[in-house]
Amino acid sequence: MAEEILDGINPTRMELLALKDREKLAVKGHSLLKQKRDALIKEFFDILDRVKGARENAETNLSEAYEALTEAQITMGDLAVQKAALSVKESVKVDISSRSIMGVSVPIADMEMESRTIVDRGYGFSDTSIQLDEAAKKFETALKYIIELGEIEKTIYLLVDEIEATKRRVNSLEHIMIPRFQATIKSINMKLEEMERENFVRMKMIRSTIEKNEAEALAKAQLKAAQSE
Amino acid sequence: MSDVAIIGDIDTVTGFKLGGVKKGIIVNNDEEAKNALDELLNDEISIIIITQKIADNIREHINKRLGSDVLPMVIEIPDKSGSSEGGADQMAALIKRVIGVEMVK
Repeated sequence: MAEEILDGINPTRMELLALKDREKLAVKGHSLLKQKRDALIKEFFDILDRVKGARENAETNLSEAYEALTEAQITMGDLAVQKAALSVKESVKVDISSRSIMGVSVPIADMEMESRTIVDRGYGFSDTSIQLDEAAKKFETALKYIIELGEIEKTIYLLVDEIEATKRRVNSLEHIMIPRFQATIKSINMKLEEMERENFVRMKMIRSTIEKNEAEALAKAQLKAAQSE
Repeated sequence: MSDVAIIGDIDTVTGFKLGGVKKGIIVNNDEEAKNALDELLNDEISIIIITQKIADNIREHINKRLGSDVLPMVIEIPDKSGSSEGGADQMAALIKRVIGVEMVK
């Protein structure tokens, strides 16, 4: 690919200076963005280790909870379980704030989850079984892990988006903008030098013409002087 | 303080209600699932738990509605019949996109 130069730039010294400034800025921005990208990727790997454990944790807890639920349904019947579920009080309070990783705001879920006794849950005892208590307890635990998992996964998705955007910017600067600036600066430099050489030659020509004219004038004057004598 | 809600089949919703999630919507088909999601988003619920099967069916709808905001979090969980291995695959694909090489740990 031939090196492209920027459109609409006049080959003047002013433009050259301005372009040099722009190139400097681009190079600086490029190195900053590169650092940002590296930091984000590091952050991404750190959190990747967490997500693996979190997902496994959540899924094992959840499948245990499903088993307990099935047992409760077997002993009590589907409808009784549903009825009991309707009267359960809300157990989880989540406060979501956000923190910033290299300018990406990611959520932090702050959970308040009191471990509840059977009495706190809010369903009656007369028509419920111990399996139901077990299921409720397991779902509470699973819910905690699931919310943690959600926080981590959301963080990862947000980080990925930012990493991709940053990568794109780094690449565009590195492979398109900076070479284009350099090519333009080079071409302006060459044009300016060419103009200088042209000027130099023109001066020489003019000087030689002037000298020639002067010499002729001098010769004529001498001739005249000689004739009048 | 933010709320948690669950979209899923009847067993999943019952289970999570037992676990103390107040808002649960039982859905039987894709249309209902979309409506449920819209409703929860309108209520500004910040954590939405949804089963993987339903999420897979309405994936486009979810992506369209969610964008890249911090909230709400949508968490996909396996339902009673177990994990569909979707979560791990998605992660692997993400890593590949970011790093450029396959890195399955």
